[in-house]
Amino acid sequence: MEISVPVQKTVVLEPFIKLVKLVARVFYDNYTTVSDNQQKSARSDSRGTAVVVLDALTRRQWVREEDLAKDLRSNAKQLRKILRYFEEQKLVMRVHRKETAKRAKMYSAAVAATTDGRAEDKVNFHTHSYCCLDYQQIYDMVRCKLDRIKKKLKDELEDKNTVQEYGCPNCQRKYNALDALRLISMEDDSFHCENCNGELVVECNKLTSEEVVDGGDNAKRRQREKLKVLLQNVEDRLGPLMDQINRVKDLPFPGVESLHAWEARAAMAARANGDLNPNDPSRTQGGYGSTPMPFLGETKVEVNLGEGKEDVKSEGGDSSQKILPPWMIKEGMKLTEEQRGEMRQEAKVDGVSGGASKLSDDKKSAMGNGDDKDLKDEYLKAYYAALLKQQEVAEKPTQQESAGVSTSDSLLATTSSDRQVGMKSKREEEDEEDVEWEEEAPVAANGDYKVDLNVEANEEEEEEDDVEWEEG
Amino acid sequence: MFFHIVLERNMQLHPRFFGRNLRENLVSKLMKDVEGTCSGRHGFVVAITGIESVGKGLIRDGTGFVTFPVKYQCVVFRPFKGEILEAVVTLVNKMGFFAEAGPVQIFVSKHLIPDDMEFQAGDMPHYTTSDGSVKIQKECEVRLKIIGTRVDATEIFCVGTIKDDFLGVINDPASTA
Repeated sequence: MEISVPVQKTVVLEPFIKLVKLVARVFYDNYTTVSDNQQKSARSDSRGTAVVVLDALTRRQWVREEDLAKDLRSNAKQLRKILRYFEEQKLVMRVHRKETAKRAKMYSAAVAATTDGRAEDKVNFHTHSYCCLDYQQIYDMVRCKLDRIKKKLKDELEDKNTVQEYGCPNCQRKYNALDALRLISMEDDSFHCENCNGELVVECNKLTSEEVVDGGDNAKRRQREKLKVLLQNVEDRLGPLMDQINRVKDLPFPGVESLHAWEARAAMAARANGDLNPNDPSRTQGGYGSTPMPFLGETKVEVNLGEGKEDVKSEGGDSSQKILPPWMIKEGMKLTEEQRGEMRQEAKVDGVSGGASKLSDDKKSAMGNGDDKDLKDEYLKAYYAALLKQQEVAEKPTQQESAGVSTSDSLLATTSSDRQVGMKSKREEEDEEDVEWEEEAPVAANGDYKVDLNVEANEEEEEEDDVEWEEG
Repeated sequence: MFFHIVLERNMQLHPRFFGRNLRENLVSKLMKDVEGTCSGRHGFVVAITGIESVGKGLIRDGTGFVTFPVKYQCVVFRPFKGEILEAVVTLVNKMGFFAEAGPVQIFVSKHLIPDDMEFQAGDMPHYTTSDGSVKIQKECEVRLKIIGTRVDATEIFCVGTIKDDFLGVINDPASTA
């Protein structure tokens, strides 16, 4: 996890601002919140507002929409409309949340931290909306838009892949070639409207609809020339935008921060600067929960595949010394003091550096180092001795069984560790070991009615081990 | 494109078919019901190639009919946008021409026919080039590309183009005859 997040990191890079400004001028210059059918006086003409709003947003990060409206001296309602439109267009991120006094304070604290001072303290307890530019998405969106424009023009120029449209001159109904089957009439070989049975006419390309059909090569050629000019124009005018897109392409995108993250970070930055803000979110009790938590940056998980060993070690480091349970300790086992549960004190003292235990889980034993190899050797010897004894006293099946179960675990642990270290001398011993097990298993099975499952499990484990050995 | 898939269907069987030949009856009824139908999702069912399983029958209350869930393998034909097909022209008019590729109908509108081909009316309407070397008329075979499909629940209709490389007439029975 990364603890410190430098404030400068999210400062928007210059090219992105330029990109947004270009986009605003190219695509949203003519955008009005007033729809066509409700023409209003010139006073309410909102043309160009969209550009202003986008420009204003490039100078801010998260901003409360009311504040933005105030700054722009524009109608809050209109602004909201524009922002909603931009949200649909994937230009801005918006967050709506119900505001309590504390939250609002936190926001103003954040504002005070980023812009020096002057945050309004008077806030209502309403739902507030916040918005912020989403540069990554803007980039994607613009590319998509450009692509679609180009494709459309190209298709129309080549007359390719376009489904022909037909219109009824009487009732203005529109059809396309996919309706052809229903439109064809028996009397003559033209299409007829389903509604009024009027003869349909071919609709021309939308882009060049002024020059209507009436056939002839001439019209077609003229149309094509016009399209060509159009394409040329588009390429000229969109040139700067495309250049900007290309420039931005390889740059890292400004990170997308959630509102919460931004607030907290801004407040932290303010604290780092030394001004004690009473509205600091990390100080106000009960801001996002009851306990004040310093914001440590966004949680980052780094997965390092190369150096897995260290990770594993750190994970289980504390409990490296395990004490053998008394039921596992048998006569004739040579155990270290630690394993017998004595000298606990010391085990804790040398903690990680001392040899890892024998009976820890696979992970642990997998990273066994040179020190505990010796211990393992010792342990193995002890184990064989115990095994031999058990075979001698095979007439006590229950006891033997328990030993079998207990030792199988340790065997697994040791074998895997050996494999890790790559000790070849061990192999023969291990093989012998396997043979012994196979002999022993049925005995146990005969002896005790309960243990069938266990024995089988042991066998399986052994077999798995064998296979792995062959591979290794 | 053709696919070999497994579909499932609940078959209702009249009690008179119960007996030794129940299974055969079920299968023949399935074939009759399913082959040649079209679903928007899978396309046209061309043929049943095998029965996967016949589930337990469920007797309907009131009637004696029994419902069997039947899983069957079949070949389906589903046209896709961009796919190249060979089709037989069925109708030519001034708006373009219609063609059939098996069960699917395709319309090629006039502006998707190469510009050098003109419509010629008459008792055998056709599109032809100025030198008359290529002629599109009823019954001739064309290779076309699908540029749009309209998929309804029970019907698939396509729009095609022959305005591309290697598309157009591939075999004209009238000219060879």
